[in-house]
Amino acid sequence: MVGLKAAEKVRVERLERRFGHLLAVAGVSFEVREGEVFGLLGPNGAGKTTLVRMLSGVLAPSGGDAVVDGASVVREPERVKARIGYATQEASVYPFLTVRENLEFRAAMYLEGRALAAAVEDALARFGLAEVAARRAGELSGGWRQRLSIAQAVVHRPRVAFLDEPTTGLDPLARRTVWDLVYAEAERGMSALVTTHYMDEAERCHRVGLVYRGRLIALGTPQELKEAVRRRYRFFQLPGTDAEAWRARAGVVDAWQRGGAIRVVLEPDAPVPAGATEEAPTMEDVFVLKIREEDADARV
Amino acid sequence: MRVSRVRAVARKEMLELRRDPVLLRVIVVLPVAMLLLFGYAVNFNLKHIPLAVWDRANDRISQALVRELEADGKFDVVRHVQSEEELVRLIDRQQARVGLELPPGMLERIRAGQGVKLTALVDGSDPTFAFQAQVGLQKAVGRLNARLVAARMLAGEAQPLPLELAPELLYNPEGNTAAFMVPGIVGIILTQIAVILTGLAIVREKETRMLEALIATPVRPGELVVGKVLPYLAIAFVDALLVLWVGRAVFAVPMRGSPALLLGLVFLFVLGSLAVGIVVSARARTQIQAIFATLVYYLPSIFLSGLFFPIEGMPRALQAVTYLIPLRYFLEAARGIMLRGVGLDVLLVPFAALALFTVLMLVFATLSFRKRLL
Repeated sequence: MVGLKAAEKVRVERLERRFGHLLAVAGVSFEVREGEVFGLLGPNGAGKTTLVRMLSGVLAPSGGDAVVDGASVVREPERVKARIGYATQEASVYPFLTVRENLEFRAAMYLEGRALAAAVEDALARFGLAEVAARRAGELSGGWRQRLSIAQAVVHRPRVAFLDEPTTGLDPLARRTVWDLVYAEAERGMSALVTTHYMDEAERCHRVGLVYRGRLIALGTPQELKEAVRRRYRFFQLPGTDAEAWRARAGVVDAWQRGGAIRVVLEPDAPVPAGATEEAPTMEDVFVLKIREEDADARV
Repeated sequence: MRVSRVRAVARKEMLELRRDPVLLRVIVVLPVAMLLLFGYAVNFNLKHIPLAVWDRANDRISQALVRELEADGKFDVVRHVQSEEELVRLIDRQQARVGLELPPGMLERIRAGQGVKLTALVDGSDPTFAFQAQVGLQKAVGRLNARLVAARMLAGEAQPLPLELAPELLYNPEGNTAAFMVPGIVGIILTQIAVILTGLAIVREKETRMLEALIATPVRPGELVVGKVLPYLAIAFVDALLVLWVGRAVFAVPMRGSPALLLGLVFLFVLGSLAVGIVVSARARTQIQAIFATLVYYLPSIFLSGLFFPIEGMPRALQAVTYLIPLRYFLEAARGIMLRGVGLDVLLVPFAALALFTVLMLVFATLSFRKRLL
């Protein structure tokens, strides 16, 4: 039995899901705190969506458990559903319905009567959707549609929301808007678990979990994660176009082309190449190096 | 079950239907088009069969016979020819379907009290057609025979024929095919609307991933199913009334029994068909799969229900299969109510069978609709 500590809104313990022989999620544990924006970062096919589906109560776990706002996803998935908001990967909007009708429909699954009407008006205002309320969802641009999708997921003011890749396919401006909206909801006390495969977006989260091949390979604040790799590697930028050659050198962990320059990751005791400028690690470095370590461990 | 959720699902479904131009056409245009198509095209009562005549007699009797053949519009003489080869050639080319050879000297032979042998070549490639053509020929010859006998009896030269049959057609004396077809068309349109549209309605949500967002809410499967099905129940009902009304207005289909009983029958059948739609949608992952699954259900319904082909004419094994086809019972009952004007006392068996089918399907539908992915 998994307990829930104070201020923890989601507690995941050894959660596991098999599809036949495939282990899509392999014993993942972490927690999401109250008012926290938690980022689940990982490449496509890492198991992010499977994880979110289990946490939302729509997919039964094969092992482990998670407690979401006090309800177990294994034993009481319907109680979980009543307490959360869930935005699926593709924006779930009905194209023939107007923005308002879409919101009303989703809100009616949780609320009725005056509370329903109030929640819809409130969501239209919070998400800046009032001006497009009468437009058909099918006519909206991707950014607006995603905004509607998130508004739908939280129209009933849940304490926990799961947003599966809300920014995939959006332009940078629209992505920023989505994150601003997520933070605004978190300010109101909602905990959000957001999945993404955009590295830069991880920086926007309070805490991040790195998912790779169904496993959680790193967990912490973006600062902590970058600090951890900084202790183990050094990062340089130097002019040149022969990243391939650099990769083969002793003491070089990795090297890749970045415009007219090469980004080089070195072992801590390797000699510093001439003309190189030391840089701070980015989330991309964290991601790439963690995956390298994971793959190396898997080979051993 | 929370009424507000059911209402929200039903309202959403109606809004989508109203705004989807394709679906709207399927609902309104398809049933009427099908009715008109079947009503006009499926006609077992053949008229204007093209007839070629080789009249070697060319006397009063042969001319009277040709007039008799054309009298009720059954045959149209398209060509007079001079040889048997020509008759055969015309039938080969389908310019005529029947060739009739009238031997020389018909009038003289009949005056002399001798029989006349008429040769008719009938295109037998379509058995239904061949049968109808033969009956038409025999009827015309029979009518002429009766007149000739009557004339001789007046002259005291002949006795009446020993046996005479006077068949009387009950229920549908004009042999109006549409009267027979319309109840069946109501049945297949209801099957289509109910099974295909319901199936598509749920699979559409699956295919567009909307179902995932929906099942992540506290909505209960029952609420979802009832809310989804209610609009289609209403639509199927309206369609049934529409088809019955057009059938009456255009094809003069009678309504001899209780309209209330017919509506009860429609309701029962629609409910069962909707349940089949839900079962289909629970298995199918894409709309194409749902359409194919529906065809698997729909085609045997058409052929084995007695809609076009009499069940009595099927082999025993196939006849047994027809007992599993719900449309069969619907047809039995609908034709009984509309054409024969009989009540529930006579139609107890088909009503009971349909009720059993509907209950079973509803149970099956509820069991097959779950609220988890995989």
